[in-house]
Amino acid sequence: MPRFTTIAVFAATLALWWLASRLGWVSPFLLPGPGTVAETMGELAASGELLRHTLVSLKRVLLGYLFAIAFAVPLALAFVLSRPLRATFEPLLEFLRQIPPLALMPLLMLWLGIGETQKVGIIILSCFFPIFLGVRGGFDSVDRKLIDVGTVCGFSRPEIMLRIVLPSALPAIVVGLRIGLGYSWRALVGAELIASSAGLGYLIVDAENLARTDIVLAGILVIGVLGLLADHLLRFAIRRSAPWLSGDLEMARA
Amino acid sequence: MLELSGIGRRYRVGSGEVTALADIDLSFPTGSFTTLVGRSGCGKTTLLRILAGLERPSEGEIRRGGDGKLRTAVVFQEARLMPWLDVAGNVGFGLRGRVPRAEAAERCAATIELVGLSAFAGAMPAQLSGGMAQRVAIARALVQEPDLLLLDEPFAALDAFTRRTMQNELVSIWQRRRPTIVFVTHDVEEAVLLGERALEMQGGRIVGREAIALPYPRDPTDPEVNLHRRAILSRLMATPAPVPA
Repeated sequence: MPRFTTIAVFAATLALWWLASRLGWVSPFLLPGPGTVAETMGELAASGELLRHTLVSLKRVLLGYLFAIAFAVPLALAFVLSRPLRATFEPLLEFLRQIPPLALMPLLMLWLGIGETQKVGIIILSCFFPIFLGVRGGFDSVDRKLIDVGTVCGFSRPEIMLRIVLPSALPAIVVGLRIGLGYSWRALVGAELIASSAGLGYLIVDAENLARTDIVLAGILVIGVLGLLADHLLRFAIRRSAPWLSGDLEMARA
Repeated sequence: MLELSGIGRRYRVGSGEVTALADIDLSFPTGSFTTLVGRSGCGKTTLLRILAGLERPSEGEIRRGGDGKLRTAVVFQEARLMPWLDVAGNVGFGLRGRVPRAEAAERCAATIELVGLSAFAGAMPAQLSGGMAQRVAIARALVQEPDLLLLDEPFAALDAFTRRTMQNELVSIWQRRRPTIVFVTHDVEEAVLLGERALEMQGGRIVGREAIALPYPRDPTDPEVNLHRRAILSRLMATPAPVPA
């Protein structure tokens, strides 16, 4: 989409929001105008509160995401390499995949307490499956015909792995990583809404208790912007390192 | 010399077995140009895959002349390009790590020029037409300067004009470098235009051999070409097509 259209859509949404609060379509108590929210955001930023909560949340997302990668990638590779392992454990994993991570929250709180471990745990659970399925699917779907090309060239098994299988699997892996990143942001707020004393999710729920919808909206906007930034950063990194993947990347928007 | 004796290939299909190749005894003299012609499903591709080492025969023996190490290159029915590499990267795919970098680059550039794609050396496969992609695949095989060049209906996807040019180009490369060529096609005319001999296949067996001692380049409208065509066709039509398994 051209940059102009993107800006226009954002501006129109903002204008509609402004009109809705200005003309009293919605009570300003329930939906404060963009000006008020911006002002609140400025105050939160000036006091350092916004940065503090943001850093706490960022740390949780990053930790959870990296741990999820550390668990999901080796497990997916083990499934690709060992058929018996896959046949044995796949049904169990399929079962676990159906359970929304937030439904496990009470259990996680009992097991892990209400500290950082529980919050990072929720994020790991949320982004584990997209990453796992991306990696497994990527290796599963490698075109055997391309492997034939390597065999005919006299490549060794490691060479085929490195020069054909891995680059072939990369698009699906990247899609999994990108969807996983999105899920980690969504799970963050869920984790922080309950039993938390810092983080953007806490900022939102605390403001709700004080009936400060302006702070709630400020928190929501910050989460949206950070998620978007993280996604762009990932896409930028991929476009730089693997330009042919640009098309596949768009699949992850689904 | 490349020799096959008693080669057979069977596949398990469900609880039964299908015979793809049976009793293949052939020899390919070094530097010869052989075409394999027959209907779809007659076993041509299976035979080629066995020659390429991509499949093992169920029975029989393959003897490779010399030290047994034939540098082999294959052009498949589809281009099979690596979508993450540009044209130059795809052409040099089999050379990396085997030939000094400078030499590889030089050979790649020369081969890309040979197939008429110099202007597209930096293009990605997704930007190429089917015919261009296939020319890249042919360049990828030629650049390896193979002793044994196996081609599986490589020109089927090309338009008639490009096909003609590529056929002539292949013959002239063969005349200059003299690799042993095995060329699979279902087009009897193509088999006659290219090969020193055409082997006719039907139902997994060699059912006829046609020696073609005409000078190159051959003209499709030449009455001699037509005579060979008619001979091959009449034999292939006389043998009943196998009942599909």
